Amino acid sequence: MAVRQYSRRRKFCRFTEAEKKGTPFDMDSLHHHVQLLKEYYIAEGGKIYPSRNTGTKARYQRLVATAIKRARRLALLPYCDQHQ
Amino acid sequence: MRHYEIIFLVHPDQSEQVPAMLERYRSLIESKGGSIHRLEDLGRRHLAYPIKKVHKAHYILMNIECNQEVLSELTHLFRFNDAVLRHMTINRKNAVTEPSELFKQKDEKQRDARSTNFRSHRPRNETEADKPKFEEASEEIPDQLAG
Repeated sequence: MAVRQYSRRRKFCRFTEAEKKGTPFDMDSLHHHVQLLKEYYIAEGGKIYPSRNTGTKARYQRLVATAIKRARRLALLPYCDQHQ
Repeated sequence: MRHYEIIFLVHPDQSEQVPAMLERYRSLIESKGGSIHRLEDLGRRHLAYPIKKVHKAHYILMNIECNQEVLSELTHLFRFNDAVLRHMTINRKNAVTEPSELFKQKDEKQRDARSTNFRSHRPRNETEADKPKFEEASEEIPDQLAG
């Protein structure tokens, strides 16, 4: 059996966690949370991280993707890193 | 009537028009029995990428309740107004009234800017008494002339 060489931080879905705590995240206004999206859900090049990397549950990943696309449309987030 | 969230970007050179535009939209919405639940002027923000060779834009966020007729009228106005760079309408389930995350960010930024300005322009311990008193100085001048 392979031995884990280093310990990795456990992935978790912050939206599910919030729901469990009884303070569900307002997913309808997620596109306002530019800092959160920038920090955790898009790569440096502007790509959306897959849920297998972030641990986001499928239901929330769909909403995250929509929020990022809305924020991009409003020029709150970049589409890529090659804008002029 | 349904709830909508509208965000639109105004050209920075046409920023002064914003209050007049908002007044027009408000009267349009309210004349047809709709209402504005949240109206936020997010000010000029840096764009993540240039739009029409502009790097900054004036953001307005409003949550409204109106009928289809008013909404299509609004989008028509946005589309044919050259000052509006971009606009987006989102369906909402209910009326949103608490300040948005974007508005909070703007608030924090302003507070930071204000506090740093305060520190750079004025020494920390200066009080009202330390300021020069202009009235007393002006009274002294006639005496000096007489003397």
